[in-house]
Amino acid sequence: MSRHSDFSRSVMPHLDAAYNLARWLTRNDHDAEDVVQEAMIRAYRFFESLREADARPWLLAIVRNTGYTWLAKNRPADVVPIDDTSTLASDVVTIGHTSPTETNPEVILLQSANRKIVNQALEDLPVGYREVLVMRELEDLSYKEIASVAGIPIGTVMSRLSRGRDLLKSAIELRMRKAS
Amino acid sequence: MNMKPENPLEPDVARDATYHRAPEALREKVSASIKDMARAERGPAFGRWMLLAASFAAVSFVSWNAALMTAASHDNAIENEVLTAHVRSLMVPGRLADVESTDQHTVKPWFAGKIDFAPPVRDLAADGYPLTGGRLDYIDGRAVAALTYRIRLHPVNVFVWPAAGASDSAPKMQTAKGYSIAHWTRAGMRYWAVTDAGPEEISRFAEILASG
Repeated sequence: MSRHSDFSRSVMPHLDAAYNLARWLTRNDHDAEDVVQEAMIRAYRFFESLREADARPWLLAIVRNTGYTWLAKNRPADVVPIDDTSTLASDVVTIGHTSPTETNPEVILLQSANRKIVNQALEDLPVGYREVLVMRELEDLSYKEIASVAGIPIGTVMSRLSRGRDLLKSAIELRMRKAS
Repeated sequence: MNMKPENPLEPDVARDATYHRAPEALREKVSASIKDMARAERGPAFGRWMLLAASFAAVSFVSWNAALMTAASHDNAIENEVLTAHVRSLMVPGRLADVESTDQHTVKPWFAGKIDFAPPVRDLAADGYPLTGGRLDYIDGRAVAALTYRIRLHPVNVFVWPAAGASDSAPKMQTAKGYSIAHWTRAGMRYWAVTDAGPEEISRFAEILASG
C-alpha cells in the first residue's frame, strides 16, 4: 500500500486532536489552522519516524513543536519558561465521573456559565500548564504519553498537572466570585 | 479537573473546557496538501498522465450516463479502501479493535468525542454474530467508525459513516479477492461490511444488521 494511504488511515483520524491542541496553544482559530496545516505537512514528511501503532502522541508532538515555533516567532511573550523546581510533585488523582444529564434550566444555565469560566481561565494559564491540562483532561493521554509529547520527565508532567490544576482552580474561583 | 467530583455543578475541565474540532475546510485543505505531496513523490510523469486522464474524464462527463459511471467507480474506490482497511486491521496484532468489548453500551460511547457522528452499535450475539469491539478508521476521505463482529471464527469489519441525503438501500453483495463485501444505506448512514466468511454468511449478517 502507498505511503499516502498509510498516512491517511493512521494519521488523518487524529486531525481533531491536532487541531484541539493547536487551538489551545495559539488561542485563536486562524492561527491554529496554520499550525495544523504546517504540522500535517511535517508529519507526512517524517511519516517514516512513526513507530507506534497509535499515531496520536507522535502527531501531537509534531503539532506541539510547530505550535511552539509559531508562538516564539509571532507571540514570544506567550512562551514563558516554567520553573518546575518550585512546585510540589504531589499529583491530584483524577476521579472520573459522569456528567449530569439533568434538564433543569438552572442547571443548564450554571453549566454554560461554568463552560465560559473554565475556557477563559484555561486560556489565561501559562502555556506550559495549559498544554499538559489539555492533553490530560481533553485528550486523555497518559502521563507517559504527555511526557513524550512535551519532551519532559514524567515527574515534571505530574508536578505541572498538579500546579496547573491549583492555578486553574484559583483562577476559576476568582472569576466566579467576580461573576456573582 | 475534578475539584469536587461529587458535585456535578462544580467546574470541571474535562467536561466544561471546549474540545476544538478541526473545521471541515481545514480537513479538506490538509487532505489536498498531502495529496499534492504524494503526487510529487510519484514524479512528473504521473502528473502528466493525470492531466491526460483528467481531460478524458472531462469529455466523458458530457455523456448522459456520466453520473452513473462516476457513482459506480466511486463505489469501486470505496470497495478497495474497505478491503485494504479490513486486511490491514488483521495484520497488526491488536489493530482490529481499540475498544474491545461485546457490550454495545461500552462500544458506542467510546466513539463519542472521537468522530462527529454517533454510529448505531448493536450486538448481534443472539443471531450468532457477537460484537467484539470498535476503532476509528479512514475511508472515502473521512474518519469513520469501524465496528468488529465475528461470524463464527471469521472477523468482520463494519465501516459506518454518515451519508448526507442518501435514501435507504438494501444490502448489495459482492466478492473481491476471496473476501465477501456487503454495503447498504440506512437511516442516513452508509455501511460497508467485509469478511473472509462466505457470501451467504455476510448476506445473512447484512440483512439482520440492516433490518434492525
